[in-house]
Amino acid sequence: MGARVVSAAAGIWLMVAPAVLSYDGTARTIDRILGPLAASAAIVAMWEVVRGVRWIAAAVGAALVVAPWLLDYPLTPAVNSLAIGGLLVVLGAVRGRVSQRYGGGWSALVRRPGDRPGGTS
Amino acid sequence: MADAGTPPGWSVNPSSWLQRLPIIALALAGAAIALYLALYQWGVLAWVWEPFFGDGAVRILDSWVSKVLPVPDAALGTAGYLLDAVTGVVGGRARWRTMPWIVVLFGLAVGPLGAVSVFLVVLQPVLFDAWCTLCLASAVVSIAMIGPALDEVLASLQHLARVRRAGGDVWRAFWGRGPRVDRAPARTA
Repeated sequence: MGARVVSAAAGIWLMVAPAVLSYDGTARTIDRILGPLAASAAIVAMWEVVRGVRWIAAAVGAALVVAPWLLDYPLTPAVNSLAIGGLLVVLGAVRGRVSQRYGGGWSALVRRPGDRPGGTS
Repeated sequence: MADAGTPPGWSVNPSSWLQRLPIIALALAGAAIALYLALYQWGVLAWVWEPFFGDGAVRILDSWVSKVLPVPDAALGTAGYLLDAVTGVVGGRARWRTMPWIVVLFGLAVGPLGAVSVFLVVLQPVLFDAWCTLCLASAVVSIAMIGPALDEVLASLQHLARVRRAGGDVWRAFWGRGPRVDRAPARTA
Protein backbone atom coordinates (compact mmCIF):
# COMPACT_ATOMS: atom_id res chain seq x y z
CA MET A 1 0.00 0.00 0.00
CA GLY A 2 2.80 2.40 0.91
CA ALA A 3 4.53 1.73 -2.41
CA ARG A 4 1.29 2.44 -4.25
CA VAL A 5 0.67 5.72 -2.39
CA VAL A 6 4.18 6.97 -3.18
CA SER A 7 3.82 5.85 -6.82
CA ALA A 8 0.51 7.72 -7.16
CA ALA A 9 2.12 10.82 -5.64
CA ALA A 10 5.01 10.50 -8.11
CA GLY A 11 2.53 10.37 -10.99
CA ILE A 12 0.70 13.45 -9.72
CA TRP A 13 4.05 15.22 -9.28
CA LEU A 14 4.75 14.61 -12.99
CA MET A 15 1.48 16.36 -13.83
CA VAL A 16 2.48 19.53 -11.94
CA ALA A 17 6.27 19.36 -12.46
CA PRO A 18 6.29 21.28 -15.79
CA ALA A 19 4.62 24.23 -14.04
CA VAL A 20 6.71 24.00 -10.85
CA LEU A 21 10.10 23.48 -12.54
CA SER A 22 9.16 25.63 -15.59
CA TYR A 23 9.93 23.44 -18.57
CA ASP A 24 7.96 22.93 -21.76
CA GLY A 25 8.26 21.20 -25.11
CA THR A 26 8.52 17.43 -25.50
CA ALA A 27 9.42 16.78 -21.86
CA ARG A 28 6.30 18.59 -20.66
CA THR A 29 4.04 16.66 -23.05
CA ILE A 30 5.57 13.31 -22.09
CA ASP A 31 5.22 14.02 -18.36
CA ARG A 32 1.61 15.15 -18.78
CA ILE A 33 0.81 11.87 -20.53
CA LEU A 34 2.82 9.44 -18.38
CA GLY A 35 2.02 11.17 -15.05
CA PRO A 36 -1.74 10.43 -15.12
CA LEU A 37 -1.04 6.90 -16.41
CA ALA A 38 1.35 6.14 -13.52
CA ALA A 39 -0.97 7.68 -10.92
CA SER A 40 -4.00 5.78 -12.25
CA ALA A 41 -2.18 2.44 -12.38
CA ALA A 42 -0.87 2.96 -8.84
CA ILE A 43 -4.35 3.82 -7.52
CA VAL A 44 -5.92 0.75 -9.17
CA ALA A 45 -3.10 -1.50 -7.84
CA MET A 46 -3.88 -0.40 -4.26
CA TRP A 47 -6.51 -3.17 -4.25
CA GLU A 48 -4.99 -6.59 -3.61
CA VAL A 49 -7.07 -8.40 -6.22
CA VAL A 50 -5.59 -6.26 -9.04
CA ARG A 51 -2.15 -5.81 -7.48
CA GLY A 52 -0.62 -6.99 -10.79
CA VAL A 53 -1.51 -3.60 -12.30
CA ARG A 54 1.58 -2.30 -10.43
CA TRP A 55 3.59 -3.57 -13.41
CA ILE A 56 1.92 -0.94 -15.60
CA ALA A 57 3.25 1.75 -13.24
CA ALA A 58 6.68 0.09 -13.43
CA ALA A 59 6.51 0.10 -17.26
CA VAL A 60 5.66 3.81 -17.21
CA GLY A 61 8.70 4.28 -14.96
CA ALA A 62 10.90 2.44 -17.47
CA ALA A 63 9.61 4.73 -20.24
CA LEU A 64 10.49 7.76 -18.10
CA VAL A 65 14.03 6.45 -17.59
CA VAL A 66 14.50 5.90 -21.33
CA ALA A 67 12.79 9.07 -22.63
CA PRO A 68 15.54 11.64 -21.82
CA TRP A 69 18.09 9.55 -23.76
CA LEU A 70 15.92 9.28 -26.88
CA LEU A 71 14.28 12.70 -26.93
CA ASP A 72 15.57 16.23 -26.66
CA TYR A 73 15.38 16.88 -22.89
CA PRO A 74 16.89 19.90 -21.12
CA LEU A 75 18.78 19.09 -17.91
CA THR A 76 16.05 19.76 -15.32
CA PRO A 77 13.28 17.60 -16.83
CA ALA A 78 15.89 14.94 -17.70
CA VAL A 79 16.97 14.61 -14.06
CA ASN A 80 13.34 14.67 -12.92
CA SER A 81 12.38 11.98 -15.46
CA LEU A 82 15.25 9.69 -14.47
CA ALA A 83 14.58 10.08 -10.73
CA ILE A 84 10.79 9.61 -10.92
CA GLY A 85 11.12 6.84 -13.51
CA GLY A 86 13.62 4.94 -11.38
CA LEU A 87 11.41 5.36 -8.33
CA LEU A 88 8.36 4.00 -10.21
CA VAL A 89 10.29 0.95 -11.46
CA VAL A 90 11.55 0.09 -7.97
CA LEU A 91 8.16 0.64 -6.30
CA GLY A 92 6.37 -1.28 -9.06
CA ALA A 93 8.57 -4.28 -8.31
CA VAL A 94 7.41 -4.23 -4.66
CA ARG A 95 4.47 -6.62 -4.30
CA GLY A 96 3.40 -5.38 -0.89
CA ARG A 97 1.14 -7.13 1.58
CA VAL A 98 -1.64 -9.37 0.23
CA SER A 99 -3.67 -10.44 3.25
CA GLN A 100 -6.76 -11.98 1.66
CA ARG A 101 -7.24 -15.08 -0.48
CA TYR A 102 -8.91 -14.82 -3.90
CA GLY A 103 -9.37 -18.42 -5.03
CA GLY A 104 -6.02 -18.43 -6.86
CA GLY A 105 -6.52 -15.02 -8.46
CA TRP A 106 -6.66 -14.27 -12.19
CA SER A 107 -4.21 -17.06 -13.02
CA ALA A 108 -6.82 -19.56 -11.79
CA LEU A 109 -8.84 -18.70 -14.91
CA VAL A 110 -6.20 -20.10 -17.26
CA ARG A 111 -4.75 -22.74 -14.92
CA ARG A 112 -5.69 -26.29 -15.67
CA PRO A 113 -6.99 -28.43 -12.81
CA GLY A 114 -4.07 -30.14 -11.15
CA ASP A 115 -1.67 -27.23 -11.54
CA ARG A 116 -0.42 -25.67 -8.35
CA PRO A 117 -2.68 -22.82 -7.32
CA GLY A 118 -1.07 -19.43 -7.62
CA GLY A 119 -1.87 -16.16 -5.90
CA THR A 120 -2.55 -12.69 -7.22
CA SER A 121 0.63 -11.03 -8.37
CA MET B 1 -15.12 -12.00 7.22
CA ALA B 2 -16.46 -15.16 5.68
CA ASP B 3 -20.17 -15.70 5.07
CA ALA B 4 -22.34 -18.20 3.24
CA GLY B 5 -21.79 -16.40 -0.07
CA THR B 6 -17.99 -16.50 0.07
CA PRO B 7 -16.56 -18.11 -3.11
CA PRO B 8 -14.46 -21.27 -2.75
CA GLY B 9 -10.85 -20.42 -1.90
CA TRP B 10 -11.73 -16.85 -0.94
CA SER B 11 -11.38 -15.23 2.48
CA VAL B 12 -13.91 -12.49 1.67
CA ASN B 13 -17.23 -12.37 -0.16
CA PRO B 14 -16.83 -9.79 -2.95
CA SER B 15 -20.61 -9.57 -3.38
CA SER B 16 -21.33 -8.64 0.25
CA TRP B 17 -22.97 -5.27 0.79
CA LEU B 18 -19.97 -4.16 2.85
CA GLN B 19 -17.89 -4.57 -0.32
CA ARG B 20 -20.46 -3.14 -2.74
CA LEU B 21 -21.92 -0.14 -0.93
CA PRO B 22 -18.74 2.00 -1.10
CA ILE B 23 -18.58 1.43 -4.87
CA ILE B 24 -22.25 2.39 -5.24
CA ALA B 25 -21.61 5.53 -3.15
CA LEU B 26 -18.63 6.43 -5.38
CA ALA B 27 -20.76 5.89 -8.51
CA LEU B 28 -23.48 8.21 -7.19
CA ALA B 29 -20.89 10.85 -6.27
CA GLY B 30 -19.43 10.56 -9.78
CA ALA B 31 -22.91 10.86 -11.29
CA ALA B 32 -23.56 14.04 -9.26
CA ILE B 33 -20.31 15.67 -10.43
CA ALA B 34 -20.84 14.64 -14.06
CA LEU B 35 -24.46 15.83 -14.03
CA TYR B 36 -23.36 19.24 -12.71
CA LEU B 37 -20.81 19.54 -15.52
CA ALA B 38 -23.37 18.35 -18.10
CA LEU B 39 -25.83 21.03 -16.96
CA TYR B 40 -23.17 23.63 -17.78
CA GLN B 41 -22.48 22.02 -21.15
CA TRP B 42 -26.20 22.01 -21.97
CA GLY B 43 -26.39 25.72 -21.14
CA VAL B 44 -28.68 25.22 -18.14
CA LEU B 45 -25.98 26.67 -15.87
CA ALA B 46 -24.14 29.77 -17.10
CA TRP B 47 -21.22 29.24 -14.71
CA VAL B 48 -19.16 26.34 -13.40
CA TRP B 49 -17.23 26.09 -10.12
CA GLU B 50 -13.44 26.19 -10.66
CA PRO B 51 -11.35 26.99 -7.56
CA PHE B 52 -7.82 26.39 -8.90
CA PHE B 53 -7.35 26.73 -12.64
CA GLY B 54 -9.02 30.03 -13.61
CA ASP B 55 -10.80 29.59 -16.93
CA GLY B 56 -9.47 26.01 -17.19
CA ALA B 57 -12.79 24.32 -16.51
CA VAL B 58 -14.60 26.45 -19.09
CA ARG B 59 -11.93 25.84 -21.70
CA ILE B 60 -12.12 22.07 -21.13
CA LEU B 61 -15.90 21.88 -20.95
CA ASP B 62 -16.37 24.04 -24.08
CA SER B 63 -13.59 22.30 -26.05
CA TRP B 64 -14.23 20.50 -29.33
CA VAL B 65 -13.48 17.15 -27.64
CA SER B 66 -16.54 17.57 -25.43
CA LYS B 67 -18.66 18.07 -28.58
CA VAL B 68 -17.37 15.13 -30.63
CA LEU B 69 -20.54 13.17 -29.86
CA PRO B 70 -24.17 14.29 -30.22
CA VAL B 71 -24.49 14.67 -26.44
CA PRO B 72 -21.94 16.46 -24.20
CA ASP B 73 -19.26 14.16 -22.79
CA ALA B 74 -20.29 14.89 -19.20
CA ALA B 75 -23.83 13.68 -20.02
CA LEU B 76 -22.35 10.38 -21.20
CA GLY B 77 -20.30 10.28 -18.01
CA THR B 78 -23.46 10.75 -15.95
CA ALA B 79 -25.11 7.85 -17.78
CA GLY B 80 -21.98 5.73 -17.22
CA TYR B 81 -21.93 6.40 -13.47
CA LEU B 82 -25.65 5.64 -13.19
CA LEU B 83 -25.09 2.34 -15.04
CA ASP B 84 -22.29 1.59 -12.53
CA ALA B 85 -24.64 2.33 -9.62
CA VAL B 86 -27.55 0.27 -11.01
CA THR B 87 -25.40 -2.75 -11.92
CA GLY B 88 -23.75 -2.40 -8.51
CA VAL B 89 -27.08 -2.59 -6.68
CA VAL B 90 -28.83 -5.40 -8.57
CA GLY B 91 -28.52 -8.88 -7.08
CA GLY B 92 -27.98 -10.44 -3.68
CA ARG B 93 -25.02 -11.37 -1.55
CA ALA B 94 -24.04 -14.32 -3.75
CA ARG B 95 -24.61 -12.65 -7.09
CA TRP B 96 -21.10 -13.55 -8.30
CA ARG B 97 -22.63 -17.05 -8.62
CA THR B 98 -26.34 -16.44 -9.00
CA MET B 99 -26.09 -13.56 -11.54
CA PRO B 100 -22.69 -13.62 -13.31
CA TRP B 101 -24.17 -11.60 -16.19
CA ILE B 102 -24.86 -8.56 -14.00
CA VAL B 103 -21.41 -8.79 -12.40
CA VAL B 104 -19.74 -8.94 -15.81
CA LEU B 105 -21.88 -6.02 -17.01
CA PHE B 106 -20.87 -4.14 -13.85
CA GLY B 107 -17.18 -4.79 -14.63
CA LEU B 108 -17.66 -3.72 -18.26
CA ALA B 109 -19.33 -0.51 -17.05
CA VAL B 110 -16.69 0.34 -14.45
CA GLY B 111 -13.54 -0.61 -16.39
CA PRO B 112 -14.01 1.36 -19.64
CA LEU B 113 -15.42 4.36 -17.77
CA GLY B 114 -12.18 4.48 -15.79
CA ALA B 115 -10.08 4.09 -18.95
CA VAL B 116 -11.96 6.92 -20.68
CA SER B 117 -11.44 9.09 -17.59
CA VAL B 118 -7.65 8.58 -17.72
CA PHE B 119 -7.71 9.40 -21.43
CA LEU B 120 -9.63 12.63 -20.83
CA VAL B 121 -7.25 13.62 -18.00
CA VAL B 122 -4.35 13.27 -20.44
CA LEU B 123 -6.14 15.32 -23.11
CA GLN B 124 -6.82 18.30 -20.82
CA PRO B 125 -3.23 19.61 -20.59
CA VAL B 126 -1.86 18.07 -23.78
CA LEU B 127 -4.45 19.51 -26.18
CA PHE B 128 -5.74 22.55 -24.28
CA ASP B 129 -3.00 23.39 -21.76
CA ALA B 130 -5.73 23.61 -19.11
CA TRP B 131 -7.05 21.67 -16.13
CA CYS B 132 -10.56 21.33 -14.80
CA THR B 133 -10.90 20.56 -11.08
CA LEU B 134 -14.26 18.80 -11.19
CA CYS B 135 -13.26 16.82 -14.29
CA LEU B 136 -10.20 15.59 -12.37
CA ALA B 137 -12.36 14.77 -9.33
CA SER B 138 -14.69 12.75 -11.56
CA ALA B 139 -11.69 10.89 -12.99
CA VAL B 140 -10.38 10.05 -9.50
CA VAL B 141 -13.80 8.65 -8.58
CA SER B 142 -13.99 6.40 -11.63
CA ILE B 143 -10.39 5.16 -11.21
CA ALA B 144 -10.98 4.41 -7.51
CA MET B 145 -13.95 2.19 -8.48
CA ILE B 146 -11.93 -0.16 -10.71
CA GLY B 147 -10.03 -2.12 -8.05
CA PRO B 148 -12.93 -2.83 -5.68
CA ALA B 149 -15.26 -3.70 -8.59
CA LEU B 150 -12.97 -6.23 -10.27
CA ASP B 151 -12.80 -8.65 -7.33
CA GLU B 152 -16.43 -9.55 -7.95
CA VAL B 153 -15.76 -9.99 -11.67
CA LEU B 154 -12.90 -12.37 -10.80
CA ALA B 155 -15.19 -14.43 -8.54
CA SER B 156 -17.80 -14.72 -11.34
CA LEU B 157 -15.19 -15.70 -13.95
CA GLN B 158 -13.72 -18.31 -11.58
CA HIS B 159 -17.24 -19.67 -11.05
CA LEU B 160 -17.78 -19.96 -14.83
CA ALA B 161 -14.36 -21.60 -15.23
CA ARG B 162 -15.30 -24.17 -12.57
CA VAL B 163 -18.58 -24.90 -14.35
CA ARG B 164 -16.70 -25.39 -17.62
CA ARG B 165 -14.15 -27.75 -16.04
CA ALA B 166 -16.94 -29.72 -14.42
CA GLY B 167 -18.48 -30.16 -17.87
CA GLY B 168 -21.41 -27.86 -17.09
CA ASP B 169 -23.26 -25.44 -19.35
CA VAL B 170 -21.33 -22.16 -19.08
CA TRP B 171 -24.00 -20.21 -20.97
CA ARG B 172 -26.70 -21.27 -18.51
CA ALA B 173 -24.40 -20.54 -15.59
CA PHE B 174 -23.67 -17.07 -17.02
CA TRP B 175 -27.38 -16.28 -16.79
CA GLY B 176 -27.56 -17.82 -13.34
CA ARG B 177 -29.64 -20.81 -14.41
CA GLY B 178 -27.04 -23.54 -14.19
CA PRO B 179 -26.72 -26.09 -11.43
CA ARG B 180 -24.67 -24.95 -8.49
CA VAL B 181 -21.00 -25.90 -8.60
CA ASP B 182 -19.61 -24.75 -5.32
CA ARG B 183 -16.57 -26.93 -5.06
CA ALA B 184 -13.52 -27.18 -7.27
CA PRO B 185 -13.53 -30.40 -9.31
CA ALA B 186 -11.45 -33.31 -8.05
CA ARG B 187 -7.80 -33.08 -8.98
CA THR B 188 -7.01 -35.26 -11.98
CA ALA B 189 -3.23 -35.00 -11.79
